[in-house]
Amino acid sequence: MGGKYAIMNTGSRMLFFLSWILLVLFSAGRVQGQEIQLTGSARSTVAVGETFTLTYTLNAQGAGFRGPNIQGFEVLSGPNTSTSSSIRSINGRTSMTITYTYTYLLQATREGSFDIPAASVSVDRKTFTSNTLNIKVVKNAGGSSGASGHGSGGTQGGRNAGESGAGSIGAGDVYVKAFASNANPLQGEGIVVTYKIFTKVPIAQINISKLSSFSGFWSQNLMKENDKLQQTTQVINGEQYVVADIRKIALFPLKSGRLVIDPLELECIAQVRKQTRTRTGDPFFDDFFNDSFFSSNIANVEKNLKSNPLVITVQPLPESGKPLDFSGAVGSFTFQSELDKTRLKSNEAVNLKCTITGQGNLQLIDKLGVTFPPDFETYDPKVTSDIKTTATGVSGTQTFEYLMIPRKPGQFTIKPINFTYFDIGKKRYVTISSPAYNLTVEKGTGDGTAMVTYSGSGKEDIQYIGSDIRHIKDKRFPLSVKGYRFFGSTAFWLLLAIPLLLFIVFLLLWRKLAARRSDAQLMKNLKATKIAKKRLAKADQYRKASDQEAFYVEISQALWGYLSDKFSIPVAELSIDSVQEALQKKDVKEAIIHQFIDTLNNTEFTRFAPGEKNVNMERIYNEALEIISKIERELK
Amino acid sequence: MKRLVLLIGIVFSAFGGYSAGEQELVVRGNKAYSAGAYTDAVNSYKKVIALGWESPELYYNLGNAFFKLNDLPNAVLWYERAKRLAPGNEDIDYNLKVANGKIADKIEPLPEMFYKRWYFSLVQLFSVDGWAWIGVIFFLLALCSAMVYFAARVLIFRKIGFWSSLATLALALFFFLFAWSGYRSIQSAREAIVFTPTITVKSSPDDKSTDLFVVHEGTKVRLLDNISGWYEIRIANGSVGWLPASSLEQI
Repeated sequence: MGGKYAIMNTGSRMLFFLSWILLVLFSAGRVQGQEIQLTGSARSTVAVGETFTLTYTLNAQGAGFRGPNIQGFEVLSGPNTSTSSSIRSINGRTSMTITYTYTYLLQATREGSFDIPAASVSVDRKTFTSNTLNIKVVKNAGGSSGASGHGSGGTQGGRNAGESGAGSIGAGDVYVKAFASNANPLQGEGIVVTYKIFTKVPIAQINISKLSSFSGFWSQNLMKENDKLQQTTQVINGEQYVVADIRKIALFPLKSGRLVIDPLELECIAQVRKQTRTRTGDPFFDDFFNDSFFSSNIANVEKNLKSNPLVITVQPLPESGKPLDFSGAVGSFTFQSELDKTRLKSNEAVNLKCTITGQGNLQLIDKLGVTFPPDFETYDPKVTSDIKTTATGVSGTQTFEYLMIPRKPGQFTIKPINFTYFDIGKKRYVTISSPAYNLTVEKGTGDGTAMVTYSGSGKEDIQYIGSDIRHIKDKRFPLSVKGYRFFGSTAFWLLLAIPLLLFIVFLLLWRKLAARRSDAQLMKNLKATKIAKKRLAKADQYRKASDQEAFYVEISQALWGYLSDKFSIPVAELSIDSVQEALQKKDVKEAIIHQFIDTLNNTEFTRFAPGEKNVNMERIYNEALEIISKIERELK
Repeated sequence: MKRLVLLIGIVFSAFGGYSAGEQELVVRGNKAYSAGAYTDAVNSYKKVIALGWESPELYYNLGNAFFKLNDLPNAVLWYERAKRLAPGNEDIDYNLKVANGKIADKIEPLPEMFYKRWYFSLVQLFSVDGWAWIGVIFFLLALCSAMVYFAARVLIFRKIGFWSSLATLALALFFFLFAWSGYRSIQSAREAIVFTPTITVKSSPDDKSTDLFVVHEGTKVRLLDNISGWYEIRIANGSVGWLPASSLEQI
């Protein structure tokens, strides 16, 4: 296959070779002197419907290419201009080669022999004309002639007559497509988006360069990253493709409306056979080596692919009959709850396990409205997901384990737990309720010690639940006559007046008593001299009668009694000291005091002293008389 | 001596002159209240009052019963009456606050001068009679001290007696002043509770006069003047107007 084509290629290559030799010969860095040629080439025989290339090659820098008037073929594209240049240096000589290539992509439409007239190009204002070509179009004989190996279509599009031997791949050879399982889901209803690669060429590697951003969705990948791609074959438009799912994602719309999933982009490396040509010109040989059996010359061609965007129209959930505690669960579920014990001791842990099983956006259910009794220590639930992903979506179980520790003994009730979801099948909201659980908490043995550890951090502000008036006064209280007021009442005034009156009475009595007492004193005071003198007179009589004993008694009594009466000193307190003190108080002269005390002493002394009794009595009597009169004078 | 016996008799009659019947009624009322039969409790307490007895506790209990019956104006009325007998009682103040919190009118009271407020709170520390009793006791102490002054012969006792009698006498006079000012504030401050659920305060004692503002049941008003079945009232924020006497119950 492709044999004739190869020959023509060889021809052009010969020319190149020639021109190259010329270049070397002239050895100037210039193209001058080189023979300028415009050569047209194409396969001489093609089948109806086959596409092929018509190439004009110019070995110089050309301008103003005027293509031939092509008749009998349909021009699919062209003329496409491409340039190649090479500079070589051999033994210090530099040579340059420039090649201009003008390419047409033609398709044979009907049988027959067609001439393609010459094309022309101007180089340095000279016009060069190409050769004419004759192409025979034959009936499509089912593959023996024409293209049989490399497939049809675009494979040939990129091929040119140049040196490049690598093949390329066409647009239809490999592509990626996105599919949605449901383009009109309800909000929260799961859909599955699958990205599939369709290929006709072997694929060595796939790298997803850009994932779709599923904005507005909660997504879950249904395929593991390193999963081996499951390949199937599929015939599309009569062509066999290898199909593989590269990504499969469960999506749960979080909002209603029109949501667009942007395309997925990936790089894939396709393996394409290198189209090396042998120069034998032998069709058989050529074919032999280009056979797939010998496809040791395989090129990896990198290609960027992009999937189609998807538009998902999300229907909102019905508002009618939407329960208040609905939190967005959509699907079909069952709900179960279990309390591991109903009798326990305080400070023991109890576990409430709630399980939601079913199909839908299970993992979006992040919590349940459990009302714990007050005074229970509770923790965030432990959430365990066991999610199975199937082709139709997500199913499995979501388990919530609530750990709680009652700190105080008593009877407690956990109110029924409600789980509300929207049933896709029934198209309505469904609420499943757990039973109410009654817990009996007994006083734990380790209460004391356990509480100690919590007492520090367990202090809380008092929580006010309600407010009410305080309770009535239930104890017996005194009643009083209505309107009665102690202040200003008779009792009040009497309570003030009577004590005041009593006080005044007391005061008067006290005064009177004191006055009377002071009167007696005064009398005694006044009489003191008189009594003293009476006693002295009596003593004088005893002296004359020489009654010594009676005389001294009378003198002593006169002196002491005078002091006692005069200075209000009780008889019991009479002594030399007290007398001295009393006299000093009255500002009596020290000499007189001394004399008085001397007289007192003399009286006692001479009473028992020997000697002239009458003389002594006479002297004592005079002394006593003198001192009393002296004190009288002094006190006045 | 005869006088003293008479005095003691009078003093005690102020406290304990009741017979067992009144106390029984009170107990019956308390039991009914505790059982939730508030109407029965109200009737029992009212009977005791009708027999001519009073006590802050009795009024307080009656206020509670009315409160439980959701009769706010009556509850406020009886709490206020209890408060007059026992100013500064914490329970009465608290329940009055709760009841006032439930009435419709929220009136921002006018601020008073700080010394007035202090003096008033000092006076409110005891009831009028409480101050009177304290005053009497201090007066007696003053007399005793004076007696010490007059009777004692030792100088230091006479000095102590003299100064303490002066001090206690001064205190007794202060306490009588407090009692008097508390008494006067009750006597002169004639207050009333609005009993009509909603009523418009008029600008003059006439139905056809201008509407000034609206008050609701349970609001306390001060009575300023009284003209042919109309009261001139002032509410706590200082607004003044006229209300028909039939809509008010005097505290």
